Amino acid sequence: MKRAPGWLARSLPWLLLLSLALFPLLAPSLDLDYYVGFIRHLLIVMMAATSLNFILGYGGMVALGHSGFVGVGAYTVVALVDGGVTSAWGAWLAAVAVAGAFAAVIGAVSLRTRGVYFLMITLAFSQMLHHLAVSLSAYGGDDGYSLHAPLLLGVGLDDAHPHVLYWVVLALAALLFTFSCRLAVSRFGYALRGIRDNETRMAALGYPIYRIKLAAFIGAGAVAGLAGALLASHNKFVSPSVMHWTESATLLVMVVIGGLGRRWGGPAGVALWLTLAEVLKLYTEYWRWPMGLLLVLIVFLAPKGVVSLFEGPRRAG
Amino acid sequence: MSLFSADGLFKHFGGLVAVDRVSFAVEPGEIHALIGPNGAGKTTLINLISGLLPLDAGRLVLDGADLTGLPPYQRVRRGLSRCFQVTSVFGADSVFDNLMLAVQARAGSSFRCLRRRAAEGSLRESALALAQKFGLDAALDRAAAILPHGDQRKLDVALALATRPKLLLLDEPLAGMGPEDSAQMVALLHRLRTETAILLVEHDMDAVFQLADRISVLDYGRVLASGDVASIRDHPEVQAVYLGTEASG
Amino acid sequence: MDAIFIIEQILNGLGYGLMLFLLAAGLTLVFGIMDTMNLAHGSLYMAGAYIAAQVHQASGSFVGAVLAAIAATVLVSWLLEILIVRRLYPRDHLAQVIATFGIILIADDGVKALWGPSPLLASMPTALAGPVQLLAELPYSAYRLLLLGAGLLVAAGLYLLVNHTRIGMLVRAGASNRAMAELMGVRVDRVFSFVFALGAALAALAGALMGPISAVQIGMGEAILIPALVVIVIGGIGSVRGAFIAALLVGLVDTAGRAFLPPLLRAVLPPALAADLGPALAGIAMYLLMAAVLILKPAGLFPARA
Repeated sequence: MKRAPGWLARSLPWLLLLSLALFPLLAPSLDLDYYVGFIRHLLIVMMAATSLNFILGYGGMVALGHSGFVGVGAYTVVALVDGGVTSAWGAWLAAVAVAGAFAAVIGAVSLRTRGVYFLMITLAFSQMLHHLAVSLSAYGGDDGYSLHAPLLLGVGLDDAHPHVLYWVVLALAALLFTFSCRLAVSRFGYALRGIRDNETRMAALGYPIYRIKLAAFIGAGAVAGLAGALLASHNKFVSPSVMHWTESATLLVMVVIGGLGRRWGGPAGVALWLTLAEVLKLYTEYWRWPMGLLLVLIVFLAPKGVVSLFEGPRRAG
Repeated sequence: MSLFSADGLFKHFGGLVAVDRVSFAVEPGEIHALIGPNGAGKTTLINLISGLLPLDAGRLVLDGADLTGLPPYQRVRRGLSRCFQVTSVFGADSVFDNLMLAVQARAGSSFRCLRRRAAEGSLRESALALAQKFGLDAALDRAAAILPHGDQRKLDVALALATRPKLLLLDEPLAGMGPEDSAQMVALLHRLRTETAILLVEHDMDAVFQLADRISVLDYGRVLASGDVASIRDHPEVQAVYLGTEASG
Repeated sequence: MDAIFIIEQILNGLGYGLMLFLLAAGLTLVFGIMDTMNLAHGSLYMAGAYIAAQVHQASGSFVGAVLAAIAATVLVSWLLEILIVRRLYPRDHLAQVIATFGIILIADDGVKALWGPSPLLASMPTALAGPVQLLAELPYSAYRLLLLGAGLLVAAGLYLLVNHTRIGMLVRAGASNRAMAELMGVRVDRVFSFVFALGAALAALAGALMGPISAVQIGMGEAILIPALVVIVIGGIGSVRGAFIAALLVGLVDTAGRAFLPPLLRAVLPPALAADLGPALAGIAMYLLMAAVLILKPAGLFPARA
């Protein structure tokens, strides 16, 4: 059916993974220390974007509140650390569970609406979460909360060591990416795309539409929660601004410019957007408008995302 | 006992009564045709039975199971399937992927997310068998949207049959087909009657008289008459409202 | 909490609601007629606020400042419509969200380049800076009264425009059934250009009027956009009447929530909990209102389409 990819295409992801894994070791000699943290941040945002791409690109659910789940994950870590928890894995896992639970409730309500109403109600929920975080004076309210004590990763390691956290994040991101690729060609992935393309027919074929969408929504929320938890460890700081609606919009933007429903769409969009911002910031304090211009241009010139520019006439996979 | 019974189905849109206390039954192995002029409520009736529209009143029973109020997917699991008047397939996907999606719906959980679907041999085989049955095996790799109209209609019926229904609802399967495609589809429906009972909505009277065991005539949302082919053909009222206009036109 | 305080808060809420209405009216018509989601509507509001503040400071004339703000913003919106928004009508909501988010980024940097990153101080007209004695016990800000008056005046004008003029009839036709309106020979694209400019004028007016009682700063457009979107969803997308009712509702709920909820909670809950919960509930009150309305009436209070 599909042309088998050549050896170069097949080994490219592995080469990328290898070079990313070696980067912290080589960075000092190349005077690129700062970029270890930058790439770590990139990888975390890629996880959030990949989860959004799953419901947005494969599921056709235009949600404008995804950063709400990132925030829930981050604040779960804050709450646990504040309560004396020291295990990184425990805190992160809890963040996944709590964000998934929030996604279950929010999704159960939101998925009863459609189109622009779905967009608005997901936005409304994330705004509620934002207000909730602002009012949590125990966790710093508007000023945010600094995580002073490192979280322990076991075998004598903790998340304060910049390289250790980098590798953990890289491993999790790679795992998640692999999983998302597999998910796309699994029964669930096909069912989700079928619903996106023709919901009525899928209902007539006997698919439980609502449950499938909800499951996807919960999964995406849980992964966003993981990204939020890692972001807390990465920044050692959490504030309500992680859930501002413009953060949700930025995630959406990154997924769309990368490529909706394309496996490399999330990572490519995040890499392009954040790298561009980083480079522009080196030269000017007016770095936002070129990015805005880029968005307008992409909408008109490459509506299927930058990944599509590198594809042949082949269909999205 | 009948395989399927609809009892007192009622639906109105605002002040307009679209389906007015309609009752009928489909026997096992039967092709039951539903005819009537445009706007008589046939498609609404199909949507009510398949659950895409909610009933205002009435009861649906299939093979002893009460379908009333069940969501569409649970009706499918209890043996009801349908195709659409306006061809409804997954246009961007290949014929093979279309069939896989339909076969997958029947074959257990769609929440599996770790196994590659392509590696599931049994799904593949069912999809290929279906393609063969409908004469679509030469077009497996083509996108559904670029198939000729007749093949798209076949694919639509094939998708509906993939769920292995006890009762298949066909909403004008011959719509827009040329004589050759029509003849093929009629032959196909003939073969299907060994697998499933069929409720057939169709305008092509030749096909209806060829295929149907029994016919119900719908007009202004009501059942005007119901009976075997001969009795409907000769029913004076039916000729007046329906066949008469058909013959003069 | 006495009666005077309550009346004062209700007046504040109505004033805020009327300003939201000015924003939401344009947004809901643009949405209703062209099915276009314009996130950059808040940027027009920001433009109005900045230009008015600048002109007021330079010339000393508040009325002149408001008029200048409206004129300049309409000009900007006209360019925006021709260059970008017009090409977005046939696209899906997602493309509209992305492109208009891009416009927000450009607008924010544009404002930063023109006026700098720090907030601008917008002053009230000196004649209206003091209070007016509404009742013996109720002094109320003269400027806020102006807001109420101006808001009501514009709402009445808009009502007459939409319901009793030819262009209004075309607008309503476009909002309730665009395809039909086109078939009947309505030049929907011209109607839309008019509506977009009208929406920009109203947004600029709201920005100019709100400037002196809120912070004139980068990001003010993004902050006000969300309540305005909530208003149009509650009111029913495309309905000006719905937007009016919903704007007043949201204005009242939001203001009342902030004013009355914290003291009420303090009365029944432990102080620490009340201090946290009060602002949180007040902040989310309008979203709860929206969720409740959508559950009961999925297409809003006054659906424009049958």
